[in-house]
Amino acid sequence: MGLRRVLDDMEPHFAKGGKYQAFYALYEAVDTIFYSPSRVSRAEPHVRDGIDLKRVMITVWLAAWIPMFYGMYNLGFQANTAIAAMGLEGGGDWHEPIIALLAGHNPASLWDNLVYGAVYFIPIYAVVFVVGGFWEVLFAIKRGHEINEGFFVTSILFALIVPPDIPLWQAALGISFGIVIGKEVFGGTGKNFLNPALTGRAFLYFAYAPNMSGDAVWTAVDGFSGATALSQIASAGLPAIHLTSGSELTWIEAFLGQMQGSIGETSTLAILLGAVILLVTRIASWRIMLGVFLGMCAMATLLNQVGSDSNPAFATPWYWHFVLGGFAFGMVYMATDPVSASMTNTGKWIFGAMIGVMTVIIRVINPAYPEGIMLAILFANLFAPLIDYYVVKANIARRRARGVI
Amino acid sequence: MSSKRKVLLSPIFENNPIALQILGVCSALAVTTQLSVTLVMCVALTTVVAFSNFFISLIRHHMPSSIRIIVQMTIIASLVIAVDQTLQAFAYEISKSLSVFVGLIITNCIVMGRAEAFAMKNPPAISFLDGIGNGLGYSVVLITVASLRELFGSGSLLGYEILPLIENGGWYQANGLMLLSPSAFFIIGFLIWGLRSVKKNQVEAKEYRMAPNSSGEESVA
Amino acid sequence: MSSRESTRKTLLVAFCLCVACSIVVSSTAVILKPYQDENRLLDRNKNILTAAGMFDADVDGNDVVAERFAEFTTRVIDLETGEWLDDAALQELEIDLSTYDQRAVINDPRYSEPVPADEDTANIKRRVNYPLVYVREENGTIDTIVLPVNGYGLWGIMYGFLALEGDANTVRGLAFYELKETPGLGAEVRNPRWMALWPGKRVYNDNGEVGLRVVKGPGSGDFQVDGLSGATLTTRGVDNLIQYWLGDTGYGPALDQLQELN
Repeated sequence: MGLRRVLDDMEPHFAKGGKYQAFYALYEAVDTIFYSPSRVSRAEPHVRDGIDLKRVMITVWLAAWIPMFYGMYNLGFQANTAIAAMGLEGGGDWHEPIIALLAGHNPASLWDNLVYGAVYFIPIYAVVFVVGGFWEVLFAIKRGHEINEGFFVTSILFALIVPPDIPLWQAALGISFGIVIGKEVFGGTGKNFLNPALTGRAFLYFAYAPNMSGDAVWTAVDGFSGATALSQIASAGLPAIHLTSGSELTWIEAFLGQMQGSIGETSTLAILLGAVILLVTRIASWRIMLGVFLGMCAMATLLNQVGSDSNPAFATPWYWHFVLGGFAFGMVYMATDPVSASMTNTGKWIFGAMIGVMTVIIRVINPAYPEGIMLAILFANLFAPLIDYYVVKANIARRRARGVI
Repeated sequence: MSSKRKVLLSPIFENNPIALQILGVCSALAVTTQLSVTLVMCVALTTVVAFSNFFISLIRHHMPSSIRIIVQMTIIASLVIAVDQTLQAFAYEISKSLSVFVGLIITNCIVMGRAEAFAMKNPPAISFLDGIGNGLGYSVVLITVASLRELFGSGSLLGYEILPLIENGGWYQANGLMLLSPSAFFIIGFLIWGLRSVKKNQVEAKEYRMAPNSSGEESVA
Repeated sequence: MSSRESTRKTLLVAFCLCVACSIVVSSTAVILKPYQDENRLLDRNKNILTAAGMFDADVDGNDVVAERFAEFTTRVIDLETGEWLDDAALQELEIDLSTYDQRAVINDPRYSEPVPADEDTANIKRRVNYPLVYVREENGTIDTIVLPVNGYGLWGIMYGFLALEGDANTVRGLAFYELKETPGLGAEVRNPRWMALWPGKRVYNDNGEVGLRVVKGPGSGDFQVDGLSGATLTTRGVDNLIQYWLGDTGYGPALDQLQELN
């Protein structure tokens, strides 16, 4: 085991008193990628499971690859469709020469679409990873704690919920805000009460609203103008959704994800596949997911029944809410973040339902924001500790009433 | 002399009403989108604190404790109305942007706080200085916040273009969050963070201790 | 000490304080009132001139306002009939042009009425039936008409002035002076660059309907104005306001009469 020896040889330099003591966090991060931590519990009770935070986070990271690959394909598909429709030569900025090197612009070609998407997505992800990683390492070194694998998840989730045409500096600013304000100022992973990826996304949403509201662009082609499905619903109601190609959006297309939107959020199917992985490995809470889903169904149905003359979005049925915008992505990847969600089982139901209900309320009733899941999850994050507190109190009260404490 | 100096200057960094005592934050959120408006607000508040301190201190020996707070409020409210009327007469544009926030100086905790904490116990002249000092402390924070918000939110300072906006043919894309109140909240938070990393004595005692994930030494063992 | 807390002393202090403070407050109010009134008038006139394209805050100072505003005559329209009221009619309605404030009488049933829900496209709930309009004449013919308009945007009612040319069909400018829209998004209706899109647009199409629209995306031709990107609902609010106030529900009849006069 040559690697083990190399790492062991380096170890004294990084340990307390060594030359690079300040950079211990970096050494530890590299070491534990290859080997289990040397520090294990000695006293009882032992958890008889191979899973630790690192494995959990890596699983989520891999599960996010499904919507990521689909997202890249769809990004290219939408862009190439727009290019074909507008009769352009290409997307028209610095991405174009790279794309031209590898592929063409045929919307029917899987390869062309995938390359187009990758050339847009990979720089975004790289920037998010490097900038976010910089903050993570800086705080880890300053505070003397380990670099947390939670960052892998935060970075990929953040990269998946931004619009495809986001300028790279905005991506950098967003992830910086998410990591620093959303997480590190409160003490780092485990102590943050907000989902860092969503915090960063919310920052961008309010700071650069014309780029982020989904009204204008969101297809990575210069000069193309369209609107996301939700934005169209907010302004004109359900029958008005149109695709890049101009035809009307069908439910099955929305479910498969053939529409404009943030990179990873469009395909409900791909997200559900990711959900299966997370549920089978028992990493994400099925209670939260189901809570979000049922809360959304209940509220959507209620609003369908109430109806409104002036607001056509009231009529949007639950199965449309489910497939449009970031609902599925938020439900599967964001709401289930174990740190910022409720911890108790009953609390998870309440927490989930709250997100579902709030999402529909914001989407339909609030005139300014066509998308609601981001704000709904952040809102519920704030309530998670309170929910847990009352669930625990209720448990105590119930047991006391039974006479067995 | 040195005590006068201290009364005047210590509220700026040592005992800042916003950064240390966390008072008067609401107006700091509301009136800091434009530097010019903020400057007028700072002058208005400083005037009110200084004179309310002065008058309250002047009659502090005659103030029956049963109606103490009401007397203070009456004096403060009268001063605020006078200031508000003056602004409407001589700085109409800015008083329009300030809208209700001049009137809300009445409820600004800094004014009441200084009246209770200082003017009731000290003679008029030094109370007046204390008012000026606290007004300056408030102003320092507000002006910093407003400079950042106007610079990054509108690309200008005092209305003069510093960062040319994309809309006007420049290169800078305005940060819309800076135009919304919560941004002042973040900026004040960062200011307090910065101030307390320099002046460690302002750091509050921890309510609880955070356990470290692990330390280098532990994992070696 | 005891004397300070006595009822008598308390009452005395309270009384003196009240007298002193009321003198301060009332005297500032009285002394400064003329300045404030002048400011208010100046501000309103400035808004009117801005809409008419005769005032640019970056270039012009307050000194030119009075002189330029003097070119306008203030008239009152009866929105029900579309008639331009003469002095006799004004007297009957007890409207004194120097004191009449159309924003202040919005709840006075003599001068205003609720807007029926099916007509209320601008979502203003109530409107004044006798709005003040400002007319500028040049060589005996009408050159500019400035109309007060309002309508619901995203967060609240936006107030502004719409200026038309003497043909009552060509836009001279639209300027909002009071709104609650989101800073940086909807509030960009006050951005001079957006306001510059309006002059020269036409209001009525060949069928006499309001053809002027605020559209999403790039507007083209004489009848379309670009909406603000990222501010769909404010844009729609401005569009509704135009439809309401220039249509038959608003100034339409009065403008028709004017066109006939011409």
